[in-house]
Amino acid sequence: MSIVEVQELRKQYDPPKGVLAVDGVSFDIAQGEIFSLLGPNGAGKSTTISMLSCLLHPSGGDALVDGHSVVTDSQAVKEAIGVVPQDIALYPDMSARENLVFWGKMYGLAGGELQTRVDEVLELITLVDRQKDRLEKFSGGMKRRVNIGVALLHKPRVLYLDEPTVGIDPQSRRSILDGILALRDQGMTILYTTHYMAEAQELSDRIGIVDHGAMIAVGTNDELVKIVGEEAHVDLRVDHYLDGMVERWAQVLGVTKAMIDEDHAVLLVQDANEVLPRLFEAAAAAGSRITEVNVTEPNLEMVFLHLTGRALRE
Amino acid sequence: MSRIFAIAWKDLRSTMRNVPALAMMLAAPLALSALLGFAFGGGGNFSISATKVAVADLDAPVFTSSSGVASSSAGQTVVGILKSPQLKDILQVSEKPIAAARRSVDGGKAAAAVIIPADFSSVIFSTSSTTPRTAIELYENPTQGIGGSITESIVDQALLELNGARAAAQAAAAVATANGRSHDQAVQKAIKTFVGQGGSSGVAVVQRPPQLGGKKSKDVGITGLVLAGMMVFFMFFGASNVARTILTEERNGTLPRLFTTPTPRRVILGGKFASTYLTVLAQAVIIVVAGRLFFAIDWGALDVVALLILAAAAVASSLGLLVISIVRTPAQAGAIGAGVYLVLGLLGGSFTGTAQSGTTYATVERLTPNGWLLVGWDRALRGGGAADIVWPVLIPLVFAVVFFALAVFRFRRRFA
Ligand SMILES: Nc1ncnc2c1ncn2[C@@H]1O[C@H](COP(=O)(O)OP(=O)(O)OP(=O)(O)O)[C@@H](O)[C@H]1O
Ligand SMILES: [Mg+2]
Repeated sequence: MSIVEVQELRKQYDPPKGVLAVDGVSFDIAQGEIFSLLGPNGAGKSTTISMLSCLLHPSGGDALVDGHSVVTDSQAVKEAIGVVPQDIALYPDMSARENLVFWGKMYGLAGGELQTRVDEVLELITLVDRQKDRLEKFSGGMKRRVNIGVALLHKPRVLYLDEPTVGIDPQSRRSILDGILALRDQGMTILYTTHYMAEAQELSDRIGIVDHGAMIAVGTNDELVKIVGEEAHVDLRVDHYLDGMVERWAQVLGVTKAMIDEDHAVLLVQDANEVLPRLFEAAAAAGSRITEVNVTEPNLEMVFLHLTGRALRE
Repeated sequence: MSRIFAIAWKDLRSTMRNVPALAMMLAAPLALSALLGFAFGGGGNFSISATKVAVADLDAPVFTSSSGVASSSAGQTVVGILKSPQLKDILQVSEKPIAAARRSVDGGKAAAAVIIPADFSSVIFSTSSTTPRTAIELYENPTQGIGGSITESIVDQALLELNGARAAAQAAAAVATANGRSHDQAVQKAIKTFVGQGGSSGVAVVQRPPQLGGKKSKDVGITGLVLAGMMVFFMFFGASNVARTILTEERNGTLPRLFTTPTPRRVILGGKFASTYLTVLAQAVIIVVAGRLFFAIDWGALDVVALLILAAAAVASSLGLLVISIVRTPAQAGAIGAGVYLVLGLLGGSFTGTAQSGTTYATVERLTPNGWLLVGWDRALRGGGAADIVWPVLIPLVFAVVFFALAVFRFRRRFA
């Protein structure tokens, strides 16, 4: 069951001459899944989120969120969603709690329910003991947590997170990613954008790769990776007897191809974990010593490179 | 409604935590008024608010057959001149017994007392050869600025006219004598006295300042009007400060984020409008109360003051919002806003006070909402009632409604 259905969404800023930021994007998000939009700077991720948040009017196409059109039924859409904007959008001269209370009111909460939710969210973002401090005294990671917390107050059915981990330390990033996975496990549907390949890979049930406003591939991580083939590359160096070793490795179970690239061997293998010990055994039997090993599993980075001819991060 | 209030309360709280904004909204008008009020010496020419004059007419009418002038009181003639319609914008005259007249000057209720002596008529109408002398006493409070000297010059003018009349009477008497009537010598001498002294009068104005010390004179006019002008002027800036948060919130992303919540856009903008209005309303209330506490300003009747404050807040907030709805960036808002408010302040008399009605300047002032508000404050300070400020409140409100409507129209297009 899809809770978000995006149909040929288009956005041109300042028509007729402005940037075509989103150019006919379509995808679905199933109930309870994490869907990531992965793409480089300027790919149109934030523009897509803005249209799905009813902040920007699409130039064309439509999207149904929880069954409601973002074009014709924005009020119902807004009740169903929580939006975490890319840049921190909070009041720095107010405390964490004051911010949460204010935004909770804007989401229609009031009275005891509001206070309870604020307490719960403070717990969730682990800022209970700092709740009375003004936001301007917070670290970047703490502000990011409040920025996310605001969007959770009204328990949205769908949560949009626009690059929520940009510019923070690894520890804060870890806790945010774990938090997102926990939300998914509680049944929340999440639309996540990022230009970090590893994040998309780790978090997502499904991923859409976007570039220049277009969706160039959609699928699970494994499905996408298959675009570049399933085999891992293994690069090997030995102290001597390279030609003989390549011939022997070619016979090893699980190796589909073995070749020499100048001063080292390049092997394509089906499962590096299984194959690597056999490669070492073969080398030892031949009296040769492996001095360097490099395994490259197929990944989204390679998919992006394959599809666009450019690296994901320039 | 509660969401509108939530937005307004958030903005009010932000303003209260913003020390530079508070300084500009509250400290600046109060400090400037204290300075200006001091410079003007606590009363006088800043405004045309009429000088209050108490008149004690002790004069006894004379019935002289010899002078040929009908029985009359010269004292009442002087009172009549002071009360003449041409002077009603300059002098506000009340007749009182002598003790009460002096008291009202001592108490600061009048800038000067004019005391007409009992022998005034008899001196004016005397044809006696030895010209008797008497004096109108001008009892004036020197701390009341130039109110006293205005009174003095008017009384002088009146006496000049009376002495002229007396000279004419003398001349008439002289003609009669020439026709063979009695004591011609004496009359001729009297006329000679007049002419010889260059028409100098038989009556002089004597000034006697009241005893200082004791009860300090109450400051009625000037500081109140200066502060009223400053208050309206700085309310424009107060409003602009809050209205500008629409632009800064747009920049900081909180406004777009608000637009992603289920709170409708009209409620969000309504909240911004409310916070602008409530902030300047609070500003005005604080300034009025501070004026009362620090400068002992008697603002006038409570209902009148309340109406004027509400109207002023409506004008200031609507104009602030209109300016913000037109400009693109917070920086533009600062520059363009300051220009608009300064021009309005100058035209509306925020720095100069209300002009005398009928003059070109007064007409210009009445083209501005703040000019009308100042007229209202002038009347309130002079003890006017609700009936006196109907136009000074209604006209600014019309301005406010137009400004609000334009601002709503602009914002709707912008955030559609
Ligand atoms: N308000 C705007 N007016 C005009 N052009 C815009 C506007 N916002 C974005 N763009 C343009 O639209 C394109 C897509 O921008 P968008 O912010 O959606 O990309 P993004 O994928 O979110 O990038 P990033 O990873 O840097 O956040 C870019 O070329 C950008 O310059
Ligand atoms: Mg973005």
